[in-house]
Amino acid sequence: MANVFSRAPIGLRSAVNEGAITRVSLILTAVVFLALFLIMPLVLVFVEAFRQGVGAYLDALKEPDALSAMRLTVTVAVIAVPLNVLFGLAASWAIAKFQFRGKNLLISLIDLPFSVSPVISGLVWVLLFGSHAALSPWLQAHDIQILFALPGLVLATMFVTFPFVARELIPLMQEQGTTDEEAALSLGASGLQTFWHVTLPNVRWALVYGVLLCTARAIGEFGAVSVVSGHIRGKTNTMPLHVEILYNEYSFVGAFAVASVLALLALVTLGIKSILEWRYGNQLASGHRH
Amino acid sequence: MRISIKNVTKQFDRFPALGGVSLEIGSGELVALLGPSGSGKTTLLRSIAGLEHPSSGQILFDGEDVSNLSVGQRRIGFAFQSYALFRHMTVLNNVAFGLKVRPRKNRPSRAEIRKRATELLDLVQLGGLEERFPSQLSGGQRQRVALARALAIEPRVLLLDEPFGALDAKVRKELRRWLRQLHDRLGLTTIFVTHDQEEALELADRVVVMNKGEIEQAGTPVEVYDDPATAFVSEFLGTVNTFQTTLNDGIAEVLGTEFPVADADVGEGPQRRHGPAIAYVRTHEIELLSREHAVGIPAIVRAVFPFGGAIRVELAVEGYDMPIQVEVPRAFFEAGEVRVNSGLFVRATNARVFPQYN
Repeated sequence: MANVFSRAPIGLRSAVNEGAITRVSLILTAVVFLALFLIMPLVLVFVEAFRQGVGAYLDALKEPDALSAMRLTVTVAVIAVPLNVLFGLAASWAIAKFQFRGKNLLISLIDLPFSVSPVISGLVWVLLFGSHAALSPWLQAHDIQILFALPGLVLATMFVTFPFVARELIPLMQEQGTTDEEAALSLGASGLQTFWHVTLPNVRWALVYGVLLCTARAIGEFGAVSVVSGHIRGKTNTMPLHVEILYNEYSFVGAFAVASVLALLALVTLGIKSILEWRYGNQLASGHRH
Repeated sequence: MRISIKNVTKQFDRFPALGGVSLEIGSGELVALLGPSGSGKTTLLRSIAGLEHPSSGQILFDGEDVSNLSVGQRRIGFAFQSYALFRHMTVLNNVAFGLKVRPRKNRPSRAEIRKRATELLDLVQLGGLEERFPSQLSGGQRQRVALARALAIEPRVLLLDEPFGALDAKVRKELRRWLRQLHDRLGLTTIFVTHDQEEALELADRVVVMNKGEIEQAGTPVEVYDDPATAFVSEFLGTVNTFQTTLNDGIAEVLGTEFPVADADVGEGPQRRHGPAIAYVRTHEIELLSREHAVGIPAIVRAVFPFGGAIRVELAVEGYDMPIQVEVPRAFFEAGEVRVNSGLFVRATNARVFPQYN
């Protein structure tokens, strides 16, 4: 490179024409920043988790409340994610393939959870189902528990992860247009056959991608869930909430052990996400956005 | 199958895409819908297919009103400009799709479906590529897969939207010839949309020229080319020079020659015999004469494009603002009189004159 630079006339210098010192210091700043703010905290989580040895780490994970928190987190995700997939598919199909009034309003509404603070996302359910709410007497009469129970956690998680699938699918479906569907219909396929054999396969990788992001967020959600959970150990504590409780009780190994599981899940998610982007990037409309 | 289109209109958000179109298409005909973009030709094709539902009017297949049938019920074969092949299916599965989605009672057996799809691929000369995916095919091959897929459902009519639009010039011509042969072999009523006049004139039995949502003229290629019914058709077909002129008792003077006003029977109002008019003269309908003849109008050669059998010459003519385009036989050019800046005489041998309304 140096050779080329030295021979290039002044007027044709490379766009990267800063001196070596400037370049090295800029790169160094970026690397230090990354190490300090991303890699070090991640490493610290594992260091703290294993501070008292592997045995203590495993014991902390085997603790009944920790196991219950993991179970609850998985249960919430298993309910919330498929429901949001269903909603996301329906919404993006309607938005991308049909023309109707209020379409832009619908798109804005789908984005709402992105802009609302998670605390509000939790609070709306408290206002709707709490003891002072209008629905409360009816719920009590029918012995239905929503707040401080699984339904509340699922609702809060769904609200927060609402946009993930739809947001992945809408741009791709819009870009693909409706000719494939028209072709299928002209060949005699029914609406359902068209959706199943044409529309869905065309967006399958974007859907997987959206599900992945949705799941990651569902597992990691703290704020909204915190408001509706009630923090009952072993019953309504999800993993992020459990980490907080353990930490506040100075049970550092326990807190970081559970946190390390969350971190591991995040790393796995990141890995799958990268593979998807690398392998099927051209089939993800928004692969470049994340 | 015979197709009757009766007074079909289509409004898109207050913008009229079709304004009362009527057309009869005979069984086994190969018809081109020709027009500039926005002329409504694709809307008409999609209306015949059932992909678009007209605001008013009727569409009949063999006398039966199909206006209220869905695209799937009409049994049409539609080929899209972008081919719209299912990218996640192999070529064979693309072709077999229309048979596979049939309700169980009408669905052929798996072996039968496979056999039919393979036969169709042989018909479109793509035997051996069954297991390829659309992304592994060239544009011309994709178009032929799209055709085979459309033919698989044994359609009553074949509808093609800009069938060669996305192909390069050479493949385009090959595929055009091939489509003509296929049409003659299958005898299927075929309608295709194009904005390419050469394609329409060479390929079709009948050309329907459209403009602004209306049919300007429908006729054989020779009829529309030699006898344009309207000013629009005159200007749209072939390479033409346009002249502003004046009608005097039905006669207008164009480049030193007098021509009668065209006896157009379309358009509203009586034929006007006096007043402003427009004359259209094709590039081969202008004679170049050397000085010694001294007839016609003096002109100076501005540019010469010496390619092909006919040589295109651009001249500045006395009394005309715009340069005119003329095609002369190569022999005339080789005689040496046509050079840049040389002075010649021009004379129109034919012209179509239309009174100018508005």
